[in-house]
Amino acid sequence: MSHQSRHSRHSDQLLLPLPGGGTGRRYPAEQNRSRVLEVAHTRLVVVGLCFMLAFCAVIARLVDLAAGSDPNLGIRLAASAPWEAARGDIVDRNDVLLATSLPTRSLYADPRDVIDPEHTADRLVELFPELDRPQLLARLSGSGRFVWVRRHLTPREQHAVNRLGLPGIRFREDQQRVYPQGAVAAHVLGFTDIDSRGLAGVERHFDSTLADGESVRLCLDVRIQHIVREELAAAVREYRAIGAAGLVLDVTSGEVIAMVSLPDFDPNNRGRAGDDARFNRVTQGVYEMGSTVKLLTAAMALDSGAITLTGGYDASHPIRKGRHTIRDYHPQNRWLSVPEILVHSSNIAAAHMALDVGGAVQRMYLDQFGMLSTPTVELSEVGTPLVPGQWRDINIMTIGFGHGIAVSPLHLAQAVAAIANGGSFVPATVVARSHEDLQSRRVLSAETSRTMRALMRLNVLMGTGRRADAAGLRVGGKTGTAEKLVGGRYKRNARMSSFVGVFPIDNPRYAVLAILDEPQGNRSTHYFATGGWVAAPVVRAVAERIAPVLGIHPAETVRTAAPEATMPDGPERRRHLLLAGLRNAMADTEGWQLAPR
Amino acid sequence: MSSSWTALIKHTTVLFLILAIGLALVLFSIKYQVQELEGQLGQLYRQIESERRSHHILQAEWSYLTDPERLRRLADRHLDLNPLSPSQIGSFATLPHPSDLHHFDDHPGPLAPVAGIMAAPAERLTR
Repeated sequence: MSHQSRHSRHSDQLLLPLPGGGTGRRYPAEQNRSRVLEVAHTRLVVVGLCFMLAFCAVIARLVDLAAGSDPNLGIRLAASAPWEAARGDIVDRNDVLLATSLPTRSLYADPRDVIDPEHTADRLVELFPELDRPQLLARLSGSGRFVWVRRHLTPREQHAVNRLGLPGIRFREDQQRVYPQGAVAAHVLGFTDIDSRGLAGVERHFDSTLADGESVRLCLDVRIQHIVREELAAAVREYRAIGAAGLVLDVTSGEVIAMVSLPDFDPNNRGRAGDDARFNRVTQGVYEMGSTVKLLTAAMALDSGAITLTGGYDASHPIRKGRHTIRDYHPQNRWLSVPEILVHSSNIAAAHMALDVGGAVQRMYLDQFGMLSTPTVELSEVGTPLVPGQWRDINIMTIGFGHGIAVSPLHLAQAVAAIANGGSFVPATVVARSHEDLQSRRVLSAETSRTMRALMRLNVLMGTGRRADAAGLRVGGKTGTAEKLVGGRYKRNARMSSFVGVFPIDNPRYAVLAILDEPQGNRSTHYFATGGWVAAPVVRAVAERIAPVLGIHPAETVRTAAPEATMPDGPERRRHLLLAGLRNAMADTEGWQLAPR
Repeated sequence: MSSSWTALIKHTTVLFLILAIGLALVLFSIKYQVQELEGQLGQLYRQIESERRSHHILQAEWSYLTDPERLRRLADRHLDLNPLSPSQIGSFATLPHPSDLHHFDDHPGPLAPVAGIMAAPAERLTR
């Protein structure tokens, strides 16, 4: 600092006399000499300082080069690698790879460099017979600078093309979408076009995320998915059904553990798949679900207080309303209590129950159950429910037993999960999400949910769902059989046979849904093709096989002796049987004296 | 004073000359070292990239080979196993008390199947 100020003072004294050389005072020679010396000295110091600074800079740079490294080097080198730009993977909940992009090479031509298009086209068609020669020739003789010849060549094909040595024919790094596990989760994954743009399923819904190279983790479990697919395919073969849908849903988180629609397709080979195979029957198809909807009717009737568990309706006569007649499939021709309505799946009583609930309340509950809106599941193929425009008495009654409203199997599974899980509706998802993101809304009271669980268990213990009773797994559920609407008329012998179950009923964890499309009864089912005969066994088989994978232990509640077995048939015995069944269903639901098998 | 001043300047010049030559040598050697290291780094990056690529392909292949459908086919062909059923799952509560274990042969209890395996010839178990 002091040096700086001295220096400036000297310069002032040095510079002042120069411009006006003749005008200033004269200095003595001696004084002049020492002054000049001093000026020279100062200049030297200044120049020396400049050099020192420059040297310091050189040393600093040296140290920097020797000790530090170029921070941009890694980025530069990594950016030169082409593989970073690949589309993201899709994995299941256990990180099993379900969809990935693999590097390939594709063949293209630069028409300007192609000397002899005729010859080139001949050679290429010899190698790849599926190429269309006239089309290829037209493209090779075109004026552009880039035309694709063939995408995704195998190494062997690349070698063969190289050996031809054709001018203007070149390779380009490319990527191909690959689904290593094939058709197992085809409808959830969807597929991409040849340029890796998502066209269906998760590939389409998360197209931009995946295109940015980020991976998507599904909540699907490919092991469960495989089991459900195998069991459904076996049922489709056995009952010669035209299709099937299966779903395993975590009732508390809404996570889809498995989603199967048959027939399905291999996404690696989607070109060969027909429209029917690509159609997702679980989310896209909307059907009249039939009796499974009675669970919703009973739940809303109990929850709104329209009826209590001991109440009931006279189901001895079919209901005639205009040109419609409501009949029972398993007619009992007597008064039925609420548990009996579900056990015998009475349409007549369910219609009465729905009327008691009332149209506005019914509509409100259905809306709360998500039955009137498009599901928010992360797939591009979701069906919108078909709901009547006018909510008249006949609509209220038919909706009460699952006709007159068409929803997707996913809708039904979501609603049944809400009934069983304590009364909270959780929208279904196919993506793994944290529990903080869980959005749920209360639809039923916990008490109603508990009662409904016991009624679902009762249906499996002594009702239409008996064939779903997996040993020790405490399945509760409801069967459904709906005649299919074809061209506005109900088609005889064309049914949607379903079963929706929840297990274990004392601590509900999973909802399992199986639907067979137009099953045909056979000798083993006594030529019945109803939900209880064809769909319930699928749910039992699925539950038995997935329980060990999902860590659910088989256990059985301790039963009390049943004196009813020896009683003569009649109303008294029926009452006793029902009470014993209810007692057992309650015991299973509450997990009384749960004993390991 | 002036002679010592010129001597000092002379010495300084020599000193700086030596310093400059020395620094230049160090600079060049460091530069070459840096270049070599940069080359190595680039090679490593390329190697990592190619490893990552083959890892990616191997992952896809692993997923292809562990496809449950394929595993079931292989299990059907090579193994004598059936899917697990709930009746095969037990718990500690159903096991007999350790003091009863030596009664295996006399009283076929819940552990009878296990006893059967234990009684099987050794070569069948180690096959």
